[in-house]
Amino acid sequence: MIRFEHVSKRYSAGHEAITELSFDLAAGEMAFVTGHSGAGKSTLLKLIALVERPTRGQILVNGQNLGQVRRRRIPQVRRGIGMVFQDHRLLMDRSVFDNVALPLVIAGAGREETARRVRAALDKVGLLGREREAPVTLSTGEQQRVGIARAIVVKPPVLIADEPTGNLDPQLSAEIMGLFSEFHQVGTTVLIASHDLPLIKRMGKRVLVLDHGRLIDDFRPQP
Amino acid sequence: MNRRQANRLKPVVPARPPAPPRTPLGSSLRARREQHLYSLFSSLGRLAARPWATALTLAVLSLALAFPLLFWLLLDNARDLSGSVEDARAISVFLKPNLDADAANDLAARLRARDDVAAVELKSPAQGLEEFRARSGFAEALKVLHYNPLPAVLIVSPRVVSTSDPAPALVAELGRDANVDIVQYDAQWRQRLGAILAVTQRGGVLLALLLGLAALLVVGNTVRLDIQGRGEEIAVMQLLGADNGFVRRPFLYSGFWYGAFAGVLSIVLIGLVEWALAAPLAQLVASYDRRFSVHGVSATVMFAAVAASAALGWLGAWIAASRHIALGQPR
Repeated sequence: MIRFEHVSKRYSAGHEAITELSFDLAAGEMAFVTGHSGAGKSTLLKLIALVERPTRGQILVNGQNLGQVRRRRIPQVRRGIGMVFQDHRLLMDRSVFDNVALPLVIAGAGREETARRVRAALDKVGLLGREREAPVTLSTGEQQRVGIARAIVVKPPVLIADEPTGNLDPQLSAEIMGLFSEFHQVGTTVLIASHDLPLIKRMGKRVLVLDHGRLIDDFRPQP
Repeated sequence: MNRRQANRLKPVVPARPPAPPRTPLGSSLRARREQHLYSLFSSLGRLAARPWATALTLAVLSLALAFPLLFWLLLDNARDLSGSVEDARAISVFLKPNLDADAANDLAARLRARDDVAAVELKSPAQGLEEFRARSGFAEALKVLHYNPLPAVLIVSPRVVSTSDPAPALVAELGRDANVDIVQYDAQWRQRLGAILAVTQRGGVLLALLLGLAALLVVGNTVRLDIQGRGEEIAVMQLLGADNGFVRRPFLYSGFWYGAFAGVLSIVLIGLVEWALAAPLAQLVASYDRRFSVHGVSATVMFAAVAASAALGWLGAWIAASRHIALGQPR
Protein backbone atom coordinates (compact mmCIF):
# COMPACT_ATOMS: atom_id res chain seq x y z
CA MET A 1 0.00 0.00 0.00
CA ILE A 2 2.85 2.34 0.85
CA ARG A 3 6.15 1.46 -0.79
CA PHE A 4 9.42 3.42 -0.68
CA GLU A 5 12.17 2.42 -3.11
CA HIS A 6 15.60 3.95 -2.44
CA VAL A 7 14.08 7.28 -1.55
CA SER A 8 16.28 10.23 -0.66
CA LYS A 9 15.16 13.73 0.13
CA ARG A 10 17.58 16.62 0.21
CA TYR A 11 16.20 20.04 1.07
CA SER A 12 17.43 23.01 -0.90
CA ALA A 13 19.49 24.11 2.10
CA GLY A 14 21.63 21.00 1.53
CA HIS A 15 20.43 19.05 4.52
CA GLU A 16 19.53 15.48 3.62
CA ALA A 17 16.46 14.50 5.61
CA ILE A 18 16.04 11.00 4.23
CA THR A 19 18.71 8.77 2.73
CA GLU A 20 18.17 5.63 0.64
CA LEU A 21 14.96 4.68 2.41
CA SER A 22 13.19 1.51 1.30
CA PHE A 23 10.26 -0.21 2.98
CA ASP A 24 6.93 -1.71 2.07
CA LEU A 25 3.75 -1.41 4.06
CA ALA A 26 1.05 -3.89 3.05
CA ALA A 27 -2.60 -2.91 2.63
CA GLY A 28 -4.33 -2.93 5.99
CA GLU A 29 -1.06 -2.94 7.92
CA MET A 30 -0.42 -0.65 10.86
CA ALA A 31 3.07 0.64 11.61
CA PHE A 32 4.91 3.29 13.58
CA VAL A 33 7.80 5.43 12.45
CA THR A 34 10.03 6.50 15.28
CA GLY A 35 13.39 8.10 15.88
CA HIS A 36 14.85 11.19 17.53
CA SER A 37 13.57 14.56 16.39
CA GLY A 38 15.06 15.46 13.03
CA ALA A 39 15.43 11.80 12.08
CA GLY A 40 13.14 12.31 9.08
CA LYS A 41 9.77 11.13 10.42
CA SER A 42 7.87 14.23 9.32
CA THR A 43 9.61 14.32 5.96
CA LEU A 44 8.59 10.72 5.36
CA LEU A 45 4.94 11.59 5.94
CA LYS A 46 5.22 14.75 3.83
CA LEU A 47 6.51 12.65 0.96
CA ILE A 48 3.48 10.37 1.20
CA ALA A 49 1.11 13.37 1.24
CA LEU A 50 2.92 14.93 -1.73
CA VAL A 51 3.78 17.99 0.31
CA GLU A 52 7.36 17.27 -0.70
CA ARG A 53 8.81 15.42 -3.66
CA PRO A 54 11.75 13.02 -3.23
CA THR A 55 15.12 14.00 -4.65
CA ARG A 56 15.73 10.37 -5.69
CA GLY A 57 13.82 7.12 -5.61
CA GLN A 58 10.20 6.14 -6.07
CA ILE A 59 7.21 6.17 -3.79
CA LEU A 60 4.08 4.16 -4.45
CA VAL A 61 0.92 4.85 -2.51
CA ASN A 62 -2.28 3.02 -3.17
CA GLY A 63 -0.75 1.44 -6.28
CA GLN A 64 0.11 4.83 -7.69
CA ASN A 65 3.60 6.08 -8.45
CA LEU A 66 3.70 9.50 -6.82
CA GLY A 67 6.52 10.59 -9.12
CA GLN A 68 4.06 10.47 -12.01
CA VAL A 69 1.40 12.54 -10.32
CA ARG A 70 1.24 15.94 -11.91
CA ARG A 71 0.71 19.04 -9.87
CA ARG A 72 -2.89 19.39 -10.94
CA ARG A 73 -3.69 15.88 -9.76
CA ILE A 74 -2.11 16.23 -6.32
CA PRO A 75 -5.42 17.21 -4.64
CA GLN A 76 -7.06 14.04 -5.93
CA VAL A 77 -4.27 11.88 -4.50
CA ARG A 78 -4.53 13.63 -1.15
CA ARG A 79 -8.25 12.86 -0.95
CA GLY A 80 -7.28 9.20 -0.68
CA ILE A 81 -5.04 9.85 2.33
CA GLY A 82 -6.38 10.77 5.75
CA MET A 83 -4.03 13.04 7.64
CA VAL A 84 -3.81 13.70 11.38
CA PHE A 85 -1.49 16.39 12.70
CA GLN A 86 0.17 16.92 16.06
CA ASP A 87 -1.53 20.30 16.51
CA HIS A 88 -4.72 18.90 14.92
CA ARG A 89 -4.96 21.97 12.61
CA LEU A 90 -8.67 22.47 13.06
CA LEU A 91 -10.28 25.63 11.67
CA MET A 92 -11.07 27.47 14.88
CA ASP A 93 -13.70 29.77 13.39
CA ARG A 94 -15.92 26.86 12.41
CA SER A 95 -17.97 24.36 14.33
CA VAL A 96 -16.92 20.76 14.97
CA PHE A 97 -19.41 19.67 12.31
CA ASP A 98 -18.00 22.03 9.68
CA ASN A 99 -14.46 20.92 10.43
CA VAL A 100 -15.26 17.25 10.04
CA ALA A 101 -17.41 17.95 6.96
CA LEU A 102 -14.62 19.79 5.15
CA PRO A 103 -13.18 16.79 3.23
CA LEU A 104 -16.71 15.87 2.14
CA VAL A 105 -17.43 19.41 1.01
CA ILE A 106 -14.16 19.37 -0.92
CA ALA A 107 -15.17 16.09 -2.53
CA GLY A 108 -18.56 17.62 -3.34
CA ALA A 109 -20.79 15.30 -1.31
CA GLY A 110 -24.47 16.16 -0.95
CA ARG A 111 -25.78 17.75 2.21
CA GLU A 112 -27.63 14.74 3.54
CA GLU A 113 -24.79 12.39 2.85
CA THR A 114 -22.39 14.83 4.48
CA ALA A 115 -24.50 15.08 7.62
CA ARG A 116 -24.83 11.32 7.85
CA ARG A 117 -21.12 10.62 7.39
CA VAL A 118 -20.01 13.42 9.71
CA ARG A 119 -22.19 11.97 12.47
CA ALA A 120 -20.86 8.50 11.80
CA ALA A 121 -17.27 9.77 12.04
CA LEU A 122 -17.99 11.73 15.22
CA ASP A 123 -19.67 8.66 16.66
CA LYS A 124 -16.54 6.59 16.01
CA VAL A 125 -14.33 9.03 17.92
CA GLY A 126 -16.88 9.33 20.73
CA LEU A 127 -17.97 12.90 20.08
CA LEU A 128 -21.48 12.37 18.78
CA GLY A 129 -23.74 15.21 19.87
CA ARG A 130 -20.90 17.73 20.13
CA GLU A 131 -21.12 18.79 16.46
CA ARG A 132 -22.47 22.31 17.12
CA GLU A 133 -19.66 23.21 19.51
CA ALA A 134 -16.67 25.32 18.58
CA PRO A 135 -13.28 23.55 18.67
CA VAL A 136 -11.95 26.03 21.26
CA THR A 137 -14.47 24.81 23.81
CA LEU A 138 -13.13 21.25 23.56
CA SER A 139 -10.21 19.79 25.50
CA THR A 140 -6.95 19.03 23.72
CA GLY A 141 -7.77 15.34 23.56
CA GLU A 142 -11.22 16.06 22.14
CA GLN A 143 -9.75 18.44 19.56
CA GLN A 144 -7.43 15.70 18.42
CA ARG A 145 -10.40 13.34 18.12
CA VAL A 146 -12.14 15.89 15.89
CA GLY A 147 -8.95 15.95 13.82
CA ILE A 148 -9.12 12.17 13.53
CA ALA A 149 -12.82 12.25 12.62
CA ARG A 150 -11.95 14.73 9.85
CA ALA A 151 -9.22 12.39 8.58
CA ILE A 152 -11.44 9.32 8.42
CA VAL A 153 -14.75 10.85 7.34
CA VAL A 154 -14.14 10.06 3.65
CA LYS A 155 -12.99 6.53 4.61
CA PRO A 156 -9.54 6.86 3.06
CA PRO A 157 -7.59 3.65 2.40
CA VAL A 158 -4.50 5.23 3.98
CA LEU A 159 -4.30 7.08 7.27
CA ILE A 160 -1.11 8.91 8.26
CA ALA A 161 -0.52 10.73 11.53
CA ASP A 162 2.35 12.99 12.57
CA GLU A 163 2.88 12.83 16.35
CA PRO A 164 -0.86 12.61 17.02
CA THR A 165 -0.29 12.22 20.76
CA GLY A 166 2.53 14.74 21.05
CA ASN A 167 0.48 17.16 23.14
CA LEU A 168 -1.48 14.60 25.18
CA ASP A 169 -0.98 12.94 28.55
CA PRO A 170 -0.35 9.15 28.62
CA GLN A 171 -3.96 8.15 29.22
CA LEU A 172 -5.35 10.31 26.40
CA SER A 173 -2.51 9.14 24.19
CA ALA A 174 -3.48 5.51 24.78
CA GLU A 175 -7.09 6.33 23.92
CA ILE A 176 -6.08 8.02 20.67
CA MET A 177 -3.85 5.10 19.72
CA GLY A 178 -6.74 2.79 20.47
CA LEU A 179 -8.78 4.71 17.91
CA PHE A 180 -6.09 4.28 15.24
CA SER A 181 -6.02 0.59 16.11
CA GLU A 182 -9.75 0.36 15.46
CA PHE A 183 -9.40 1.89 12.00
CA HIS A 184 -6.58 -0.54 11.31
CA GLN A 185 -8.88 -3.41 12.25
CA VAL A 186 -11.46 -2.37 9.65
CA GLY A 187 -8.80 -2.52 6.92
CA THR A 188 -7.28 0.97 6.80
CA THR A 189 -3.52 1.17 6.29
CA VAL A 190 -2.18 3.24 9.19
CA LEU A 191 1.25 4.86 9.50
CA ILE A 192 1.97 6.90 12.62
CA ALA A 193 5.07 8.95 13.35
CA SER A 194 5.73 9.09 17.09
CA HIS A 195 8.61 9.26 19.52
CA ASP A 196 6.59 7.90 22.43
CA LEU A 197 8.48 4.60 22.69
CA PRO A 198 6.68 3.12 25.72
CA LEU A 199 3.33 3.66 24.01
CA ILE A 200 4.57 2.20 20.72
CA LYS A 201 5.85 -0.87 22.54
CA ARG A 202 2.51 -1.43 24.19
CA MET A 203 0.74 -1.30 20.83
CA GLY A 204 2.72 -4.33 19.61
CA LYS A 205 2.79 -3.24 15.96
CA ARG A 206 5.50 -2.96 13.34
CA VAL A 207 8.04 -0.18 14.05
CA LEU A 208 10.33 1.54 11.55
CA VAL A 209 13.23 3.22 13.31
CA LEU A 210 14.89 6.15 11.57
CA ASP A 211 18.23 7.70 12.47
CA HIS A 212 19.55 10.69 10.55
CA GLY A 213 17.30 9.83 7.63
CA ARG A 214 18.33 6.15 7.43
CA LEU A 215 16.23 3.12 8.33
CA ILE A 216 18.21 1.43 11.07
CA ASP A 217 15.62 -1.03 12.30
CA ASP A 218 12.39 -2.58 11.01
CA PHE A 219 10.93 -4.32 14.03
CA ARG A 220 8.02 -6.69 13.42
CA PRO A 221 6.21 -8.17 16.41
CA GLN A 222 6.07 -11.95 16.58
CA PRO A 223 2.51 -13.18 16.26
CA MET B 1 7.34 -2.01 -11.41
CA ASN B 2 6.02 -1.98 -14.97
CA ARG B 3 3.39 -4.45 -14.02
CA ARG B 4 2.18 -2.07 -11.33
CA GLN B 5 1.93 0.81 -13.71
CA ALA B 6 -0.03 -1.27 -16.18
CA ASN B 7 -2.34 -2.11 -13.34
CA ARG B 8 -3.38 1.49 -13.00
CA LEU B 9 -4.96 1.44 -16.40
CA LYS B 10 -7.23 -1.49 -15.65
CA PRO B 11 -10.81 -0.55 -14.94
CA VAL B 12 -10.89 -2.32 -11.60
CA VAL B 13 -8.03 -1.14 -9.45
CA PRO B 14 -7.80 -2.78 -6.05
CA ALA B 15 -7.91 0.07 -3.59
CA ARG B 16 -8.28 3.50 -5.17
CA PRO B 17 -9.96 6.07 -3.01
CA PRO B 18 -13.45 4.62 -2.62
CA ALA B 19 -14.77 7.86 -1.19
CA PRO B 20 -17.29 10.25 -2.82
CA PRO B 21 -15.39 11.69 -5.84
CA ARG B 22 -15.63 10.37 -9.41
CA THR B 23 -19.31 9.60 -9.59
CA PRO B 24 -21.72 9.81 -12.54
CA LEU B 25 -22.38 13.09 -14.32
CA GLY B 26 -25.65 13.93 -12.56
CA SER B 27 -24.17 13.70 -9.11
CA SER B 28 -20.98 15.44 -10.17
CA LEU B 29 -23.11 18.38 -11.34
CA ARG B 30 -24.90 18.28 -8.03
CA ALA B 31 -21.51 18.19 -6.33
CA ARG B 32 -20.46 21.35 -8.18
CA ARG B 33 -23.69 23.02 -7.19
CA GLU B 34 -23.13 22.07 -3.55
CA GLN B 35 -19.61 23.46 -3.69
CA HIS B 36 -20.80 26.70 -5.27
CA LEU B 37 -23.56 27.12 -2.71
CA TYR B 38 -21.02 26.47 0.02
CA SER B 39 -18.65 29.10 -1.40
CA LEU B 40 -21.48 31.58 -1.94
CA PHE B 41 -22.61 31.49 1.66
CA SER B 42 -19.21 31.11 3.26
CA SER B 43 -18.00 34.19 1.36
CA LEU B 44 -21.02 36.18 2.54
CA GLY B 45 -20.31 35.00 6.06
CA ARG B 46 -16.73 36.18 5.78
CA LEU B 47 -17.84 39.66 4.73
CA ALA B 48 -20.36 39.82 7.57
CA ALA B 49 -17.75 38.61 10.06
CA ARG B 50 -15.76 41.84 9.58
CA PRO B 51 -18.48 44.49 9.18
CA TRP B 52 -16.22 47.55 9.55
CA ALA B 53 -13.55 46.44 7.13
CA THR B 54 -16.23 45.41 4.67
CA ALA B 55 -18.09 48.73 5.04
CA LEU B 56 -14.88 50.66 4.46
CA THR B 57 -14.02 48.70 1.34
CA LEU B 58 -17.55 49.12 0.05
CA ALA B 59 -17.46 52.88 0.70
CA VAL B 60 -14.24 53.30 -1.30
CA LEU B 61 -15.53 51.09 -4.09
CA SER B 62 -18.91 52.77 -4.35
CA LEU B 63 -17.30 56.22 -4.54
CA ALA B 64 -14.98 55.02 -7.28
CA LEU B 65 -18.03 53.75 -9.17
CA ALA B 66 -20.31 56.72 -8.43
CA PHE B 67 -17.98 59.30 -9.97
CA PRO B 68 -17.97 57.94 -13.52
CA LEU B 69 -21.68 57.29 -13.24
CA LEU B 70 -22.36 60.86 -12.17
CA PHE B 71 -20.14 62.15 -14.94
CA TRP B 72 -22.01 60.05 -17.45
CA LEU B 73 -25.31 61.41 -16.15
CA LEU B 74 -24.15 65.02 -16.58
CA LEU B 75 -22.90 64.31 -20.06
CA ASP B 76 -26.06 62.51 -21.08
CA ASN B 77 -28.14 65.48 -19.96
CA ALA B 78 -25.85 67.92 -21.74
CA ARG B 79 -26.19 65.91 -24.94
CA ASP B 80 -29.98 66.02 -24.65
CA LEU B 81 -29.80 69.74 -24.05
CA SER B 82 -27.75 70.34 -27.18
CA GLY B 83 -30.22 68.21 -29.11
CA SER B 84 -33.13 70.32 -27.93
CA VAL B 85 -31.65 73.50 -29.41
CA GLU B 86 -34.09 73.50 -32.25
CA ASP B 87 -33.50 74.49 -35.78
CA ALA B 88 -29.79 74.62 -35.38
CA ARG B 89 -29.04 74.75 -39.11
CA ALA B 90 -30.91 77.97 -39.50
CA ILE B 91 -29.00 81.21 -40.06
CA SER B 92 -30.28 84.18 -38.10
CA VAL B 93 -29.71 87.38 -40.04
CA PHE B 94 -30.12 90.53 -37.94
CA LEU B 95 -30.81 93.45 -40.23
CA LYS B 96 -29.69 97.02 -39.61
CA PRO B 97 -32.01 98.56 -36.97
CA ASN B 98 -33.05 101.51 -39.13
CA LEU B 99 -33.92 99.38 -42.16
CA ASP B 100 -37.55 99.78 -43.22
CA ALA B 101 -39.99 96.96 -43.81
CA ASP B 102 -39.89 97.18 -47.62
CA ALA B 103 -36.12 96.82 -47.78
CA ALA B 104 -36.39 93.83 -45.44
CA ASN B 105 -39.05 92.24 -47.66
CA ASP B 106 -36.86 92.88 -50.69
CA LEU B 107 -33.90 91.16 -49.16
CA ALA B 108 -36.07 88.20 -48.12
CA ALA B 109 -37.42 87.86 -51.68
CA ARG B 110 -33.90 87.97 -53.12
CA LEU B 111 -32.77 85.27 -50.76
CA ARG B 112 -35.75 83.04 -51.51
CA ALA B 113 -34.80 83.12 -55.14
CA ARG B 114 -31.38 81.59 -54.44
CA ASP B 115 -30.64 77.92 -55.14
CA ASP B 116 -28.95 77.25 -51.79
CA VAL B 117 -31.82 78.62 -49.72
CA ALA B 118 -34.72 76.43 -48.74
CA ALA B 119 -36.84 78.95 -46.87
CA VAL B 120 -36.74 82.44 -45.47
CA GLU B 121 -38.85 83.71 -42.62
CA LEU B 122 -39.08 87.38 -41.88
CA LYS B 123 -39.65 88.50 -38.32
CA SER B 124 -40.51 92.12 -37.96
CA PRO B 125 -39.26 94.08 -34.90
CA ALA B 126 -42.81 93.95 -33.45
CA GLN B 127 -42.97 90.17 -33.78
CA GLY B 128 -39.53 89.88 -32.24
CA LEU B 129 -40.54 91.97 -29.25
CA GLU B 130 -43.67 89.88 -28.75
CA GLU B 131 -41.64 86.66 -28.81
CA PHE B 132 -39.01 88.03 -26.52
CA ARG B 133 -41.64 89.10 -24.05
CA ALA B 134 -43.32 85.68 -24.10
CA ARG B 135 -40.24 83.56 -23.83
CA SER B 136 -37.60 85.18 -21.73
CA GLY B 137 -39.54 86.46 -18.78
CA PHE B 138 -38.30 90.00 -19.38
CA ALA B 139 -41.83 91.34 -19.81
CA GLU B 140 -41.50 93.78 -16.90
CA ALA B 141 -38.18 95.10 -18.07
CA LEU B 142 -39.42 95.56 -21.60
CA LYS B 143 -42.34 97.67 -20.41
CA VAL B 144 -39.85 100.29 -19.27
CA LEU B 145 -38.60 100.79 -22.83
CA HIS B 146 -40.40 103.51 -24.80
CA TYR B 147 -39.35 102.15 -28.16
CA ASN B 148 -38.67 98.80 -29.73
CA PRO B 149 -34.90 98.24 -29.82
CA LEU B 150 -35.13 95.05 -31.82
CA PRO B 151 -34.20 94.84 -35.48
CA ALA B 152 -36.00 92.83 -38.15
CA VAL B 153 -34.65 89.32 -38.38
CA LEU B 154 -34.50 86.89 -41.29
CA ILE B 155 -34.44 83.19 -40.38
CA VAL B 156 -32.76 81.64 -43.40
CA SER B 157 -32.84 77.84 -43.76
CA PRO B 158 -30.08 76.80 -46.12
CA ARG B 159 -30.69 73.91 -48.50
CA VAL B 160 -28.48 71.22 -47.04
CA VAL B 161 -25.91 69.97 -49.51
CA SER B 162 -23.49 68.25 -47.23
CA THR B 163 -23.99 67.89 -43.50
CA SER B 164 -20.32 68.34 -42.76
CA ASP B 165 -20.07 71.77 -44.38
CA PRO B 166 -19.25 73.96 -41.40
CA ALA B 167 -20.32 77.37 -42.76
CA PRO B 168 -21.87 77.61 -46.18
CA ALA B 169 -20.77 80.37 -48.55
CA LEU B 170 -24.19 81.88 -47.96
CA VAL B 171 -23.18 82.87 -44.42
CA ALA B 172 -20.18 84.82 -45.67
CA GLU B 173 -22.20 86.47 -48.42
CA LEU B 174 -24.90 87.57 -46.01
CA GLY B 175 -22.27 89.07 -43.80
CA ARG B 176 -21.14 91.32 -46.65
CA ASP B 177 -24.63 92.61 -47.42
CA ALA B 178 -24.99 96.33 -46.60
CA ASN B 179 -28.42 95.80 -45.00
CA VAL B 180 -27.21 93.13 -42.64
CA ASP B 181 -25.96 93.91 -39.18
CA ILE B 182 -25.07 90.51 -37.68
CA VAL B 183 -25.20 86.96 -39.05
CA GLN B 184 -25.65 84.31 -36.41
CA TYR B 185 -25.08 80.79 -37.59
CA ASP B 186 -26.26 78.37 -34.85
CA ALA B 187 -24.76 75.31 -36.46
CA GLN B 188 -21.29 76.67 -35.79
CA TRP B 189 -22.10 77.11 -32.14
CA ARG B 190 -23.62 73.68 -32.08
CA GLN B 191 -20.58 72.19 -33.65
CA ARG B 192 -18.39 73.73 -31.00
CA LEU B 193 -20.68 72.42 -28.30
CA GLY B 194 -20.52 69.02 -29.95
CA ALA B 195 -16.74 69.18 -29.93
CA ILE B 196 -16.68 70.21 -26.29
CA LEU B 197 -19.03 67.36 -25.46
CA ALA B 198 -16.84 64.90 -27.37
CA VAL B 199 -13.76 66.03 -25.43
CA THR B 200 -15.65 65.78 -22.15
CA GLN B 201 -16.97 62.38 -23.13
CA ARG B 202 -13.48 61.11 -23.86
CA GLY B 203 -12.38 62.53 -20.53
CA GLY B 204 -15.29 60.76 -18.88
CA VAL B 205 -14.33 57.44 -20.46
CA LEU B 206 -10.75 57.88 -19.25
CA LEU B 207 -11.96 58.78 -15.78
CA ALA B 208 -14.21 55.71 -15.75
CA LEU B 209 -11.31 53.51 -16.86
CA LEU B 210 -8.98 54.91 -14.19
CA LEU B 211 -11.55 54.61 -11.43
CA GLY B 212 -12.47 51.13 -12.68
CA LEU B 213 -8.81 50.20 -12.38
CA ALA B 214 -8.79 51.67 -8.88
CA ALA B 215 -11.83 49.54 -7.99
CA LEU B 216 -10.04 46.49 -9.38
CA LEU B 217 -7.01 47.22 -7.22
CA VAL B 218 -9.11 47.84 -4.12
CA VAL B 219 -10.89 44.50 -4.50
CA GLY B 220 -7.63 42.77 -5.42
CA ASN B 221 -5.84 44.15 -2.40
CA THR B 222 -8.69 43.34 -0.03
CA VAL B 223 -8.81 39.78 -1.31
CA ARG B 224 -5.02 39.50 -1.10
CA LEU B 225 -5.12 40.51 2.58
CA ASP B 226 -7.96 38.08 3.13
CA ILE B 227 -5.93 35.28 1.53
CA GLN B 228 -2.90 36.10 3.67
CA GLY B 229 -5.05 36.14 6.78
CA ARG B 230 -6.37 32.72 5.88
CA GLY B 231 -3.06 31.09 5.07
CA GLU B 232 -3.50 28.35 7.64
CA GLU B 233 -7.03 27.57 6.51
CA ILE B 234 -5.91 27.41 2.88
CA ALA B 235 -2.99 25.13 3.80
CA VAL B 236 -5.32 22.77 5.68
CA MET B 237 -7.78 22.67 2.81
CA GLN B 238 -5.01 21.91 0.37
CA LEU B 239 -3.75 19.09 2.60
CA LEU B 240 -7.28 17.68 2.70
CA GLY B 241 -7.30 17.53 -1.08
CA ALA B 242 -8.86 20.85 -2.11
CA ASP B 243 -7.79 21.96 -5.58
CA ASN B 244 -7.02 25.55 -6.49
CA GLY B 245 -10.53 26.06 -7.83
CA PHE B 246 -12.09 25.09 -4.52
CA VAL B 247 -9.75 27.28 -2.49
CA ARG B 248 -10.18 30.20 -4.85
CA ARG B 249 -13.95 30.07 -5.16
CA PRO B 250 -14.98 31.73 -1.86
CA PHE B 251 -12.58 34.59 -2.61
CA LEU B 252 -14.09 35.02 -6.07
CA TYR B 253 -17.52 35.17 -4.51
CA SER B 254 -16.25 37.76 -2.00
CA GLY B 255 -15.04 39.83 -4.94
CA PHE B 256 -18.39 39.39 -6.62
CA TRP B 257 -20.22 40.51 -3.47
CA TYR B 258 -17.91 43.48 -2.98
CA GLY B 259 -18.60 44.57 -6.55
CA ALA B 260 -22.34 43.97 -6.45
CA PHE B 261 -22.86 45.70 -3.10
CA ALA B 262 -20.64 48.60 -4.11
CA GLY B 263 -22.64 48.91 -7.35
CA VAL B 264 -25.90 49.11 -5.43
CA LEU B 265 -24.37 51.58 -3.00
CA SER B 266 -23.13 53.80 -5.82
CA ILE B 267 -26.66 53.83 -7.27
CA VAL B 268 -27.91 54.91 -3.87
CA LEU B 269 -25.26 57.66 -3.84
CA ILE B 270 -26.38 58.84 -7.27
CA GLY B 271 -29.94 58.77 -6.00
CA LEU B 272 -28.95 61.02 -3.11
CA VAL B 273 -27.21 63.43 -5.47
CA GLU B 274 -30.29 63.50 -7.71
CA TRP B 275 -32.47 64.11 -4.70
CA ALA B 276 -30.26 66.93 -3.43
CA LEU B 277 -30.23 68.59 -6.85
CA ALA B 278 -33.91 68.04 -7.63
CA ALA B 279 -35.28 71.30 -6.17
CA PRO B 280 -32.68 73.74 -7.60
CA LEU B 281 -32.79 71.93 -10.95
CA ALA B 282 -36.56 72.20 -11.08
CA GLN B 283 -36.20 75.95 -10.47
CA LEU B 284 -33.62 76.23 -13.21
CA VAL B 285 -35.80 74.35 -15.68
CA ALA B 286 -38.81 76.47 -14.73
CA SER B 287 -36.82 79.67 -15.29
CA TYR B 288 -36.17 78.48 -18.83
CA ASP B 289 -39.90 77.94 -19.37
CA ARG B 290 -39.29 74.17 -19.32
CA ARG B 291 -37.71 74.34 -22.73
CA PHE B 292 -35.42 71.52 -21.64
CA SER B 293 -35.63 68.74 -19.08
CA VAL B 294 -33.18 66.75 -17.03
CA HIS B 295 -33.33 63.05 -16.33
CA GLY B 296 -31.85 60.69 -13.76
CA VAL B 297 -30.26 57.29 -14.17
CA SER B 298 -32.53 54.81 -15.93
CA ALA B 299 -33.21 51.32 -14.63
CA THR B 300 -31.22 49.80 -17.49
CA VAL B 301 -28.18 51.87 -16.65
CA MET B 302 -28.55 51.00 -12.97
CA PHE B 303 -28.66 47.32 -13.78
CA ALA B 304 -25.69 47.61 -16.14
CA ALA B 305 -23.71 49.54 -13.51
CA VAL B 306 -24.32 46.92 -10.83
CA ALA B 307 -23.53 44.08 -13.24
CA ALA B 308 -20.33 45.76 -14.42
CA SER B 309 -19.33 46.45 -10.84
CA ALA B 310 -19.91 42.83 -9.82
CA ALA B 311 -17.88 41.65 -12.81
CA LEU B 312 -15.11 44.05 -11.85
CA GLY B 313 -15.10 42.70 -8.29
CA TRP B 314 -14.94 39.12 -9.55
CA LEU B 315 -12.07 39.97 -11.86
CA GLY B 316 -10.10 41.78 -9.14
CA ALA B 317 -10.55 38.82 -6.80
CA TRP B 318 -9.59 36.39 -9.56
CA ILE B 319 -6.34 38.20 -10.27
CA ALA B 320 -5.41 38.33 -6.58
CA ALA B 321 -6.49 34.76 -5.88
CA SER B 322 -4.75 33.23 -8.89
CA ARG B 323 -1.53 34.92 -7.94
CA HIS B 324 -1.47 34.42 -4.21
CA ILE B 325 -3.05 31.00 -3.86
CA ALA B 326 -0.74 29.56 -6.50
CA LEU B 327 2.23 30.98 -4.60
CA GLY B 328 1.00 29.58 -1.31
CA GLN B 329 0.52 26.06 -2.53
CA PRO B 330 2.97 23.34 -1.48
CA ARG B 331 4.51 21.60 -4.47
